[in-house]
Amino acid sequence: MTVFLPSRRSVLTGLAGTAALAGLAPGAVSQTAARFVVIGGGFGGATAARYLKQYMPASSVTLIEPLSTYHACPFSNLVIGGGRALSAQAFGYDGLKAAGVDVIQARADAVDADARSVTLSDGVTLSYDRLIMSPGIDFRDGAIEGYGQVAEQIMPHAWKAGPQTQILRNELEAMEDGGTVVMSVPPAPFRCPPGPYERASLIANYLKTQKPRSKLIILDGNDAFSKQPLFEQAWAARYPDHLERVSATDFGRVIAVDASSGELMTEFDTVQADVANVIPPQKAGAIADAAGVTDQTGWCPIDGLTFESALVPGIHVLGDATIAAPMPKSAFSANLQAKICAVQITRIMAGAAPEPTVLANTCYSYIADDAAVSITGVYTNDGGTLASIEGAGGLSPMDAEAGVREAEAAQAEAWFRTITAEAFG
Amino acid sequence: MSRKRPGRLAAALTGAAACLAACGPARGDRADAVIGEPDAPDPAIAERSLPGRTAMLAMACTGCHSETSEAIVSLDTYSMEQLVTLLTAYKTEGEGTTVMHRLMRGYDESDIEAVSAYIAEGGTP
Repeated sequence: MTVFLPSRRSVLTGLAGTAALAGLAPGAVSQTAARFVVIGGGFGGATAARYLKQYMPASSVTLIEPLSTYHACPFSNLVIGGGRALSAQAFGYDGLKAAGVDVIQARADAVDADARSVTLSDGVTLSYDRLIMSPGIDFRDGAIEGYGQVAEQIMPHAWKAGPQTQILRNELEAMEDGGTVVMSVPPAPFRCPPGPYERASLIANYLKTQKPRSKLIILDGNDAFSKQPLFEQAWAARYPDHLERVSATDFGRVIAVDASSGELMTEFDTVQADVANVIPPQKAGAIADAAGVTDQTGWCPIDGLTFESALVPGIHVLGDATIAAPMPKSAFSANLQAKICAVQITRIMAGAAPEPTVLANTCYSYIADDAAVSITGVYTNDGGTLASIEGAGGLSPMDAEAGVREAEAAQAEAWFRTITAEAFG
Repeated sequence: MSRKRPGRLAAALTGAAACLAACGPARGDRADAVIGEPDAPDPAIAERSLPGRTAMLAMACTGCHSETSEAIVSLDTYSMEQLVTLLTAYKTEGEGTTVMHRLMRGYDESDIEAVSAYIAEGGTP
């Protein structure tokens, strides 16, 4: 544990320029400040670090992230489809540093929940009063025979944006017209439920416009999927000759790959790919396991009110790693969960009880470069359980005119600018 | 890509938090204030100075709405009455095509009024 009294100077600096303080004697600030460690610099972690520091400026907030540049997954399917540069997905941590967050470029290797400390890849140990973890996803080792760190350089997953995104884009560009692209979708749950189908739409759009004798085959580990009627309507209208999906019932689930030959194996068949995009089965990021906040599913059960781990007190878990259903594993959810978690921690530290509220999610998916559809949800967290509010949420209308789809594509762009500014701005 | 400063709401939220820090009871002598389990609610805390349900309601708004009006409008210039009218219209309009129609069906009148007042006042609880 680390408990310290902020110096008067640091308190004054931290609160400078805040209108709410007008007329208040600065000397009134004398409470103990806390130490927060945030693991993971994605949408959940970056947002949580920013808001914790804003709410409790006398506290220290340390963000642990191994990468100096974060590549956002939302909109990365547009890079794969050829309509966007990877550089538009890149965000750094200067904004967080300017907001007073200490950013340490390292990997968190171990958590001692009893001692309340985190050990980093460089051997440094940090103590915390509360730990906030937004570790994202990792892939389940051995879930697809033949797939691992070597194979992923040839059959990219591109499910963590960055170099993997570029590999897949480059392979699509290099493929000769007439080639076959194969995408493997894992059984749910996985990061970004509509993501594979948005990607399929944008790859099909690329093939249709640039390599019209080519085709995309989706080998799917699922029968039903997010925004299914909207995607299927778009595919039938736009890509009838360029996209084919094999569902789980039709033995679509991929169980093995051979990266050297370009083959993907299901229980029924072997499919030859010129370009293969293998999205493997997923679980919470490795540090969640190390911290003991995962259950037998590989994901992290949480209290829906505070996002504190249901298994280990003092650790809050956000974003894709959580079991927050019906909230999806989305950037919008991670960002909102982070903000709510920051409010609840602020309340708890001040001796007030957490309050229930209404949460929401909005996810846009592109069906072509200039057209998008959306899904929304509204949730309560009364009593600590996240539950959908009946009669609210749902999909964009079916059979909508082009203007509705174009408007949602423009809204998606505005959303991306807002959410990335919230997290990294 | 252009980067924006934190919006008015965010600034107001920060202000609320700073007020909390300034107005909260002195706890510097209590090491257990920052470790261990949550303290029992303290009636001496001025609840209105702490962010709570309404601030969290507004946090769903700021996932999409910034201070810049693009395809998604800024909420900065709306009065409480305007917001209540608009949000209620979304809630009750059966044929609407935007995400707002689907979202607002999940909010009751009191939450719509509370979040409208909160946003119109620049985020002050």
